[in-house]
Amino acid sequence: MTETVQKLEVRRVTKSFRIRGRANAQDRTQDRVLNVLADVSFQVRQGELVSIIGESGCGKTTLLRIIQGLVHLDSGAILVDGVQVTKPGRDRGFVFQHASLLPWRTARKNVEFGLELQGVAAAERTRRAEKLLELVGLAEAAEQYPHQLSGGMQQRIGLARALAIDPAILLMDEPFSALDAQTREVLQKELVRIHDETAKTTLFVTHDLDEAIYLSDRVVVMAAGPGRVKEIIDIPFAHPRPELPELRADARFHEIRGAMAGLIRNATAATSVKVG
Amino acid sequence: MAEIHLSNAEATVETIGPAPRAAGKLWIARMCSMVVVLGGWEILGLRVSPVFLSPPSAIFKAGVVMARSGELWGALSTSLETLVIGFVTASVVGIVLGLLIGRYKTFDAATDWLINALYAMPMVAIIPLVILWFGLGEEAKLFIVGILTVFPVLINTAAGVRNVPQSLIDVSTAFAANERQVFTKIILPSAVPYMMTGLRLGIGRAIIGMVVAEFFTAITGLGAVIVKYGNQYDTASMFVPLLVLMLLGILLTYGVRRLEEMFAPWKEVD
Repeated sequence: MTETVQKLEVRRVTKSFRIRGRANAQDRTQDRVLNVLADVSFQVRQGELVSIIGESGCGKTTLLRIIQGLVHLDSGAILVDGVQVTKPGRDRGFVFQHASLLPWRTARKNVEFGLELQGVAAAERTRRAEKLLELVGLAEAAEQYPHQLSGGMQQRIGLARALAIDPAILLMDEPFSALDAQTREVLQKELVRIHDETAKTTLFVTHDLDEAIYLSDRVVVMAAGPGRVKEIIDIPFAHPRPELPELRADARFHEIRGAMAGLIRNATAATSVKVG
Repeated sequence: MAEIHLSNAEATVETIGPAPRAAGKLWIARMCSMVVVLGGWEILGLRVSPVFLSPPSAIFKAGVVMARSGELWGALSTSLETLVIGFVTASVVGIVLGLLIGRYKTFDAATDWLINALYAMPMVAIIPLVILWFGLGEEAKLFIVGILTVFPVLINTAAGVRNVPQSLIDVSTAFAANERQVFTKIILPSAVPYMMTGLRLGIGRAIIGMVVAEFFTAITGLGAVIVKYGNQYDTASMFVPLLVLMLLGILLTYGVRRLEEMFAPWKEVD
């Protein structure tokens, strides 16, 4: 048994939003407080791919944005390699739900974006970008602009852009949810391959049960109202994984899927309270 | 039982997708309308007094005379000088102010009332004031061209800065860009297509400003040619600078479009 290193720790994270009831900033009697996350804790080990799953409104995307530093937390801590992080940093690479590529940059220039911000020399940037474009299977499209690429290709570029800065952790926010079923399946397979090749520690948010089981080593099931960890499920399938259709034929797949669906279903409660 | 045919002998493969830019039939329609309009003008021009309407043939002849004598080129270069200097200066000022106004809310609040007021006012109305300030010379003309150009450029640039998609700002934040990098690598390029729209609107107004200035301050350039031949009731010669102005407008707008393609190649041309 190899030593397990905690790459990411989410420690007792709590987050609320105050929703302004009246435009008047002085009058807060109509405000409502939305408790998005309450005391969320879990860890991700080195090289692991962990999915977060839960119904919409359970705060899974907010949690991911907190980890990236795009949203501030109320209390709790995010630790990367044992060090607390509070701001966005290049130790975390983020893949957005809609690829969010910069439309004025070619595919290669988009992949270079993070490196450019770091001040990496042009030749070195190009070399790394080309290697990553090859990794995501888009070496041919290097000089194309995003509007010339399909949704699936854009998302591959988004992944290459996040990997280019060689982050300690890859954070992926429902990256395949906006794609059609066929493309999604292809990209899921690609992600498994890329994860096997790079062994990049990955935290993956999704609402697709099959996707979570197929991709992950473990799945964090969250419940809403307020968002909290309901259960963490180990996925027993060994790597390299059989493809999803084969996996679906496995009895254990259905057992896990059924258990997850049950956990998500009976996790309903009021999501907001009135402050007066 | 009716016979069923699976192949249709008359069928051709249907073409779908974007139509070619200049479909043959459309060009025919365009040519026909040109012939009708110019022909009608010619016939009408020959029937009415030449003071009211000169036929295209007479305008063409007058144009040749004015081109040979050099009068047309002299006037054109004088006008272009005013136009180019005024337009370029106003564009630079408009872009810089637009960036500041779009980026900083305080700056916006401090200037929006003034910009709205000035933009709403018909600029021709301030020409007497401009003459008081600058006299009748080149400065007055440049000021008039500039003040007409600056607002569309400024307003569009500011809109471009304000309309940067939040998702792209998020990308730069996620990748730990600093304030300067957010501005130069996200906001500025994102606003470029808006700036170009501003320049395109600005160039039309700059030409208006140029002609108006040539009428109302020291009479020079193409404006002077129009006034001169108007006073001489030489309508054919008066039409020549009008057509030159029309061509100028078309060419400059086309030029800005090319600029747009150069600086914003990711933006599909509409």
